This record gives sequence, C-alpha cells and structure tokens, in this order.
Amino acid sequence: MNITELLNVNLIKLELNSKTKEDVIKEMVNLLDEDGKLLDKDKYTKAVTDREKEFSTGIGMGIAIPHGKSSGVKEAALVFGRSTEGIDYQSMDDELAHIFFLIAVPEESSNEHLKILSQISRKLMHKELRESLMNASSPEEIITLLQQ
Amino acid sequence: MKFVAITSCPTGIAHTYMAAEALDMAAKEMGIEIKVETQGSVGAENQLTEAEIREARVVIIAADTNVSKERFAGKTILEVGVKDAIKDAKGLIQKAIDMKIEDKNTAKNVSNVEEEKKVERKGVYKHLMTGVSYMIPFVAAGGILIALSFAFGIYAFKVDGSIAAALKDVGGAAMGLMYPILAGFIAFSIADRPGLVPGVVGGMLASTVGAGFLGAMAAGFLAGYTILLLKKTIKLPKSLQGLMPVIILPVLSTLVVGLVMMYVIGKPVSALTVAMSKYLTNLSGANAGFLGIILGLMMAFDMGGPFNKAAYTFGVSTLALAPSSAIMAAVMAAGMTPPLGIALATVIAKKKFTAEERESGKSAWALGLAFITEGAIPFAAADPLKIIPSTMTGAAVAGALSMIFKSAIVAPHGGIFLLFIPHAVINLGGYIVAIVAGTIVTGIMVSVLKKDVVVK
Repeated sequence: MNITELLNVNLIKLELNSKTKEDVIKEMVNLLDEDGKLLDKDKYTKAVTDREKEFSTGIGMGIAIPHGKSSGVKEAALVFGRSTEGIDYQSMDDELAHIFFLIAVPEESSNEHLKILSQISRKLMHKELRESLMNASSPEEIITLLQQ
Repeated sequence: MKFVAITSCPTGIAHTYMAAEALDMAAKEMGIEIKVETQGSVGAENQLTEAEIREARVVIIAADTNVSKERFAGKTILEVGVKDAIKDAKGLIQKAIDMKIEDKNTAKNVSNVEEEKKVERKGVYKHLMTGVSYMIPFVAAGGILIALSFAFGIYAFKVDGSIAAALKDVGGAAMGLMYPILAGFIAFSIADRPGLVPGVVGGMLASTVGAGFLGAMAAGFLAGYTILLLKKTIKLPKSLQGLMPVIILPVLSTLVVGLVMMYVIGKPVSALTVAMSKYLTNLSGANAGFLGIILGLMMAFDMGGPFNKAAYTFGVSTLALAPSSAIMAAVMAAGMTPPLGIALATVIAKKKFTAEERESGKSAWALGLAFITEGAIPFAAADPLKIIPSTMTGAAVAGALSMIFKSAIVAPHGGIFLLFIPHAVINLGGYIVAIVAGTIVTGIMVSVLKKDVVVK
C-alpha cells in the first residue's frame, strides 16, 4: 500500500485555523482544491455536508472523518488536519475532535485507492496510532505513521 | 464462542471498516472469535462462508444500509447501526454473548439441505397464491358482468350502445386483466415492486399469444426470477444505481420476459393451436362419444389456453355450417362443468377449501352457469395437479354425453341463458343431464383428490 498516492505534504495541516465544524470542512476542502484534486469544489463540498447530515462522521476518540464521493472529485485524495485546541464536531461521544481526515473519492475510483482508505479507517481505531498522530511534529512524520 | 458480523455504511469508505476493526479489536480483547465481513464501496470483503455462519452463535449486523439476511435464515441476528459498533464494540459483543438463542434455530440448522428444499417449495406456492388471490376478484367481476349481459338476451350485446353491450365490454375488460394480474402479482411476490412490470406485461402477452393461464403463470415466475437474476448479476457504480429500478430493471426484464413469451411460448402455442384444429377437423366423422370426450378434455385442460381455444373455435366453426351444432353443444357443456364442478366441491367438501376459496366457489356457480370457464382458473392455478384432472374428467363426461344424446345448440355462448330460450337447445333434457353429470364427476373428484386445508 502506498499512501503517497493519496496524501502529500500539501494536504497536511498540523494546526487548523477553524473553530467550527463548517469552517473545518471548508478549510480542508480548500487544501484539496489548491492541490488540484477537485473538478467542482461546490459539488464535492455538498457531498461532504450531505454525508454529515446523515450522521456526524465525528466517530469519537477525538477523530472525525468527513468524506464524500462525488463527480466533483478528480482523483482520490486525503487531507490530514489537526487541531490541538479541538473542535466541536458533534461527535458521537460528545468530545472535541482533534484529528481530521477529509476523504475525497471520485464516482469511479480504483479499488486500490478505496482499499487504502479502508486500511486507514481501520488503523484509526487503534489508540497508539491516534496518539502518535497527535504528537507528530512534521507532515512527513504523519505520512510515515500512516504508511506503516 | 464464535460470532460472525457484517458492517456496512452508506458511502462504504470509512465507517464500514472502522466498525469492522473495532469489532476485531474488541473480540481479541475479550478472547472470543469473530469474523467480520465488510460490505463497502469495494464490495464485500472477508466474506463469511456457510460453515462460519453455521457455527456462529449470533450474527451481528452493524449497518446503515440494507444488508441481505437471506444467508442467515434460522440464525439469531443482532442488528444495530454501524456507529454502535464503532462507539462500543465491546458492549455490542457482550450483548451478542448474552443474547438468548431462539431454540427453533439450533434444531433447524442441523438438517439444512432438506429444510432448504421445503422452504423453497413453500416459496413457490406462496408466490402462486399471491397471484391467484389478486386475480380472483377480477374473474368474479368480469365473469358476472358478462353473464349479466346474456340476461338481456343471448345476442343482446351485439346491439351497439345497448346496456348489454356495455356490460359485456366492461366485464371483458375486467376478465382481460386476469392474466396480467395473475402474472404480475406472482412476480411481485417473488421480486417485490420491480417484478410487477415484467409480470404484468408477460401476463398480457400470455393472453395475446393465447397461452392461457398456464402461460400467465409461467410468465409470472419467469418475470420474478428474471428480476432476481438481473439484480444479482448487474453491478453498477453507486452513481448509476438510481437507474436500476427506474430504467434498467424494467427495460431488461420486460425485454427478456416479452421475448420469451413471444418466441419460446407464443410460437409453439400457436403451432399447437393450429395442429389441434386440424386434428379436430379430421375427427369430425369419428365416433360421436369419442369426439365429445376429446372436446371435453381440451376445454377443461387449460381453460383459455391453446387446447381450449382450439376446441372452442372448432365448435364455433361448425355453427357456421349448420343452424345448430352438436359439437358446439358438447364444447359448451364441457366449458360449463369445470367451474360448476368446483363450486359443487366447495359445498360438499368444505374442509378442503379455505374460507376465501369457499366464497370464490359461490361466484364459480354463476360463472359456470354462464359458460365462463375461467371461473375455475383461480382454483386450477392454486392446485393444478388436483384440479385440472378433475375438471378434465368431468368435462369429458359432459362432452361425451352431450354428443351421445345428440344435443345441439344454436349459439356459441350463453350457458344457462340459452337453455331458457325455446328451440335454442335440441334435446334439452339430455343436455341438462350431460352438464349435471359432468358437474358431479368433477365435484366428487375434486373432493376426493384435494387434501384438507391445514389450519395454521
């Protein structure tokens, strides 16, 4: 598995500026857009917020994984964002979220990419990884952690 | 202790896998065995095998999508949302450990092969009964209205704009829907809403190609299982899945069912009808009683299908050659006894019919008297192996006696209404004896052959 196909240093923000759920989605979508991963920003944003409406992707344990599958996405990509202070993401455990993964998937995505994403989702369930991600000091370190 | 689980979420990208991982981790910690199948955007991964499902104590389904439970027949299922597994996987597993297993399951799982077969048969029967029960009121409405039109006079419907003509048209419309409804709801029972379109169309075609109710039954089953097959084989990307129910399933299934009805069923049926007609023409000079038997068997075998049509058309054609026809008389007698005989059976052997069927038996009297053979179809469709031989035997008796008594009639329809018209029936007494005898034979045979209705 090669996570660099999905994630690069431009898509990692160790300290997010946003304070609200809405803003954090916008902020991370902008990273994707600037890195040329999107065809239609609004369309993708809508997919993500629609998904949030079903129920919050704040899965607890300080993690949120907003995601959207949309034809507005050019190629599958991942954004990593971190907020030391924490953001109220209406998480299932009512705790603040600190680690954010924004996932973008085009309508027709390769199985390879989907598998990588499913692997990351699985890994996030492990406490050690979550702690390491919180303590990582550089984007490169984040990539290495997720790569393992 | 072993468990199996399925996780699935709407997008199938993240939660599905998180829930799976959470369950795996929790199970490890608790020292139990679990296998989790993920149904995500990549399709099903880590698929559960039959053996694993069999050995599992409980099936956990953590999903916000519709997970098919067919595989888990007889298992105890614990169903929760996908987030419940992420949030508290341990609690979920604990719940599955504490859950009471309904004891019907443990017993059932042992002899699985035979069980499955039985269930299957029950399924087919259930589908058939669904179709039949939706069809019954159409037959009653149509048949009785047509009969009413004869009450105005045997040819009253031929006067344009008359109430008799209207009644016959209205009744005909209801009657015409009988096959589409039968086939449509058989398919509906098998495949839910998507089954309705190919089923109704297939039933309609069964009537246009002259395949009768047996053709309609075939169309219904074909339609239902075609939908199931299409659903299984066509895998579309999520974005196109919305097209499945509105375009893809209706178009493809109707195409398949339609073509099969036209070519695989329609062609042989029309060839058969032609062959039967030829055979009957050649028989014209044969022994009268024998011809009556043949006509009777044909009238009552498929009641509206190719055999029936051939016999009826042959009867009508003889009326064109002479003012009255003994062959037509035999055909009509044989067409009256199937519903009449069954109606008789619902009275003399009440236990062998459901309450609904007994009610339906009352309208069968009226339909039989009016020479609307279709009145027997709901019964024949529900239990063909018992009913059809009975109706055939009774009709053969009626046909043969009518021929032997040299009864003859002047019109190709009308049933009992014809009997009231002076000089419309030659040897009226003999004719009545023929019909009554046929009715009694069918009634007794049905009563003997049919099993008691099992009270559930």
